[in-house]
Amino acid sequence: MDRRISIFILLAFVLVALPGGLALLGGGYWFRVVTTIGVFSVLTMSANLVTGTTGLMSLGHAGFYGIGAYTAALLATQLHWPFFLTLPAAGLVTAAIGILLALPTMRLIGIYFAVATLGLGEIIHVSLLNWVSFTRGPMGIAAIPGISIEGLFSASDIVNYYAVALVAVAAMVVLGRLTHSYYGNALRAVREDDQCASSMGLNVVSLKIQSFAVACFFAGVAGGLWAHTTGYISPADFRFSESILILAMMVVGGLGSLPGAILGAIILLGLPEVLRPIGDYRMIVVGAVMFLSILFLPRGLLGETSVLTVVRKQFGLAWDKNLNLGWRQ
Amino acid sequence: MFDTFFVQQLVNGLSVGLIYALMAIGFTLIFGVLNVVNFAHGEVYMIGAFAGLLAITQLSPPLFVVILIALAAGALAGFGLERLAFRPFRRFRDEASLKSKAIREATLLSSLAVSIIVRELAEKIFGSNMQPIPQEYLLLSPVQIGPLTFANGQFLIFGLSLVMLGGLHWLLKHTRTGMAIRAVANNPIGAAYVGINTERTIIATFVIGSTLGAAAGIVVGLYQGAIFPAMGFAPGVKAFVAMVMGGLSSIGGAVICALILGVSEAVTTSFFAQGWGDLVAYVFLVITLIFFPTGLFGGGRERV
Repeated sequence: MDRRISIFILLAFVLVALPGGLALLGGGYWFRVVTTIGVFSVLTMSANLVTGTTGLMSLGHAGFYGIGAYTAALLATQLHWPFFLTLPAAGLVTAAIGILLALPTMRLIGIYFAVATLGLGEIIHVSLLNWVSFTRGPMGIAAIPGISIEGLFSASDIVNYYAVALVAVAAMVVLGRLTHSYYGNALRAVREDDQCASSMGLNVVSLKIQSFAVACFFAGVAGGLWAHTTGYISPADFRFSESILILAMMVVGGLGSLPGAILGAIILLGLPEVLRPIGDYRMIVVGAVMFLSILFLPRGLLGETSVLTVVRKQFGLAWDKNLNLGWRQ
Repeated sequence: MFDTFFVQQLVNGLSVGLIYALMAIGFTLIFGVLNVVNFAHGEVYMIGAFAGLLAITQLSPPLFVVILIALAAGALAGFGLERLAFRPFRRFRDEASLKSKAIREATLLSSLAVSIIVRELAEKIFGSNMQPIPQEYLLLSPVQIGPLTFANGQFLIFGLSLVMLGGLHWLLKHTRTGMAIRAVANNPIGAAYVGINTERTIIATFVIGSTLGAAAGIVVGLYQGAIFPAMGFAPGVKAFVAMVMGGLSSIGGAVICALILGVSEAVTTSFFAQGWGDLVAYVFLVITLIFFPTGLFGGGRERV
């Protein structure tokens, strides 16, 4: 298939077919589910840049998601900023805080980095919970204005859907271009062997910080979207279990693969909805799917290598012998 | 003269710290032998507490028997955990793959997944609220010594922890199993060459570590009057912090750091609101990782 046709089909599905189908299904509840999947797709794709591509297992992603959500919510309720200002602001603030918090931990590798990010995530959660004068603590922030522009459109399910879908597509394009490039190859080199990458002349610490900052930016934007689409946030939305959920989505979809991240979000959020008639087994499903996928599909459903081949064929340059350019086979 | 309030907080902190120490030893033993982190350790603690609670509500035996039942449940849980979450990923026997990054991350994720399943199943069966505990089993009756007031649970915690720590020391230094554990922790291939059954030793490690964790669970459950499915998370993370602070494979270091952690938490909560006490452990963790990456008591370990 031609690359343009693939993109066209993808956009047509996301922007026309999916909302149309949902509206036919009756909207409301299903829009809510799909919006949540969209927000978590952005989160999982961003975490994937750090964990999958750069190889630094992050167990505190929900904390940064929380910073983004609280930034957007506070700017919108206290200063009455519109959503098109709060979303980028949420991303930038989260990226700045992320860099500040992560700077000292960037020397760590492997399990030590995972534990340090777990600690950071919990520090953020405890601060959101206890800094009552600033975040209103466990009561959360209510009545966050929805996504609306006066005179153009007002907050509704379909507007929420389009906002989330557009951000998700934008995140996918940016992160896709970032990872499927020479820059992405440098990040993968850091993942495979950071000492070797360093001896080849890559600035490993700087690469780690850059990928962490980009991931935090998108986590913050996802948090802002969550705040604006739900209208109410509380620290309970940004606990360790959310970080685990994001990690499980990456593992199920396949570490290091963007389509895998979205597929993981669809499976882990969609499956509990489908199974709802049997009872609320959300987290059991998450645990079981995660366990089975580590056991039987260590590469995930769309593992990076197979996904890379697909992407190369559909979207990227194949290795061109004449130009000496593109992907190495 | 000393300040009564301060001494009381110190004793409270030490008893919490001993609990963290019991859990941290489980982490440390398993990390020493397999070089992996067992994220389901908090759930073993929860299983110990629930096994004791079930024994109380069904049979109402004396306290001593309740603790024994919790210990047995912990041993069983450790065995099952090893079979379920760790064994399937040990497909190869050479040292490189036994301690490789892939195995570490796979077992990290699998133990995390098992812990989620166990915790959620417990919530399905028992509900996520705190369980009612019969009054006569609560370890909260006050004991007056001079101007100081202690709960009798604190004496139990001190006594039990000291007995278990002493027992562990004896086990590791003077029995064949203990020596096998230390040998495998030192060099798994070498241990296999001299005829040690590594598989059995790994199981023994999990059983011992989980027994200590389950003991901590039931004692804390009765002392704090709080037994609920998610009870294992907070102490689990703090014991983990103690292990990292102690240098990952040093049992003595982990115990000392657990005590430091418990006391600092007690002191913090007496100056600030209760909720900020949880922050202490995480701040310690981040500070340790930044300034002492190999832990306060760790020797020259690999790169962190």
